[in-house]
Amino acid sequence: MKTSSELRLAPGTVITGKWNRGRYRVERLLGEGANGKVYLVEQNRRLYAMKVGGDAVDLQSEINVLRSLASRRRRAEPYLMAVDDCVREDGSEYPFYVMRYVRGSAVHEYLQREGADWFPLVGYHLLGKLAELHEAGYVFGDLKRENVLVGDYGRVELVDFGGATALGKSVRQFTELYDRGYWNAGSRTAEGTYDLFSYAVLCLHLFEGRRLLQLAQTALPQNRSPADLIRLTDGHPALKPFAGWLARALRGEFASAREGAAAWQLIMYGGGVKMNRKRTPAGWAAGLFACTMLALAAAIVWLMTEGVLPTGLS
Amino acid sequence: MRQLLLITDGCSNVGMNPVVAAAHAKAEGITVNVIGVVERGESISAAEVEIEEIARAGGGMSRLVNTRQLSQTVQMMTRKTVVTTIQQAVNKELRQVFGAESVEALPPERRGEVVRVIDELGESSPLKVALLIDTSASMRPKLQAVEEAIRDLVLSLQSRSGRSEIAVFHFPDSENGEGCVCDLDWTDNIAGVKRILPRLAMRGTTPTGPAMMQVIDFFRQGDYGRTIRGETDGMTGEDVV
Repeated sequence: MKTSSELRLAPGTVITGKWNRGRYRVERLLGEGANGKVYLVEQNRRLYAMKVGGDAVDLQSEINVLRSLASRRRRAEPYLMAVDDCVREDGSEYPFYVMRYVRGSAVHEYLQREGADWFPLVGYHLLGKLAELHEAGYVFGDLKRENVLVGDYGRVELVDFGGATALGKSVRQFTELYDRGYWNAGSRTAEGTYDLFSYAVLCLHLFEGRRLLQLAQTALPQNRSPADLIRLTDGHPALKPFAGWLARALRGEFASAREGAAAWQLIMYGGGVKMNRKRTPAGWAAGLFACTMLALAAAIVWLMTEGVLPTGLS
Repeated sequence: MRQLLLITDGCSNVGMNPVVAAAHAKAEGITVNVIGVVERGESISAAEVEIEEIARAGGGMSRLVNTRQLSQTVQMMTRKTVVTTIQQAVNKELRQVFGAESVEALPPERRGEVVRVIDELGESSPLKVALLIDTSASMRPKLQAVEEAIRDLVLSLQSRSGRSEIAVFHFPDSENGEGCVCDLDWTDNIAGVKRILPRLAMRGTTPTGPAMMQVIDFFRQGDYGRTIRGETDGMTGEDVV
């Protein structure tokens, strides 16, 4: 079996596609997923991300997901740019695809650098991305810190679709720590709730990383439970407002990521603005208005019957 | 689709060469995967070669892992083997339809549909995985992790849409010494099973080859357990019948 770890592309290497003859110059390694390595490449002075895989079938499954996502949102700028194979000097062939390069850093690095103030917004954007994916008929599967890129002003992009699975199928790839099966919290069937569980673990990993890893290492497999995770939700001040939300996600209570996102948004702004002057409650004002109108009508009738008003007015 | 997953940590030392047994399995359409479980500081360099050769003869793959990585490795190997098996079947079709040798030989724009079919079949084809566990003395501290890995595998298989079953065997047979014992007959649910592998003191021999031959036989006789076998066959199902 070929594995991508055998292939290392040094900066400066020029890759020419076997089928479509596109030429790309390797700038540097960006990261590594289960199905291959991602490089920053340049073509005609534009930067792209290129994923080079070890196995054509695995990589193609991923491409199939990206394609079906692209066909759903026509307005968005294209994500997948080219699909081809590269041939090395020794004759070995590696499949690759070229996608839009997303500038950004992994979510934990971003929050460390920019501050936890960004957490609620970044989380909300991530939930939006998951909702979009679910509505397209897929579950992300392998949600973890490394697969969430955050760009300027908390914009979020999911990377590495190696775990993306059609709804109802068995999740293709997952990381134990984020897997609800690992925590005895449910099946490995691709459902929206699967991603939301991973999302909640991701939040814990961001702020309670040490306690989370300790829990994973010390608890006996048969004793691991979402209840243990729920106990971690209200320790950190950044998580505390979302503790109830996280508990619901860990218990699989949100029907969809969209519903989860809406609930998250309520918490983000739910503190409410403190008003200096009490607003008049709307119902009371309407009642007052009705009373006034009634009094006016009665007055007019009374005045007319008394002959004070000219009859022409009625 | 039929798989035999051997989990061991040492060399076979009794009976038939396990590489030959693996070749037998392959001839019967059973893919053989092998996982060597090693703990830090433990060296099994002699066994490493054997593990690799068994997998090669059985058309599968081999990995050396520690107990922590065991669950994920079992899960990944099983899945990967399913895809490979389907792929091999599909490649035959490709040769006839497109004159292409494999998916890789197709131009990228024609791979999409083929891979979609591979994914679909991989998810829905019936699957049988027989796990053959080495329970000789040095494996004993690792058996807890093996049990967890088996339970984890069942969880993964339950989310497939196709029928998926496992059977579990351990070797050596403590009474007979020369073969394996069936601990769990074909099943898709082990929720009610408290303990899969026995906690008895094991004898020191490692009859990997003979044990594999018995598992191949088990595959062939779909309804083992109802068949009365001669004592020389050695496979005395304890929980079966």
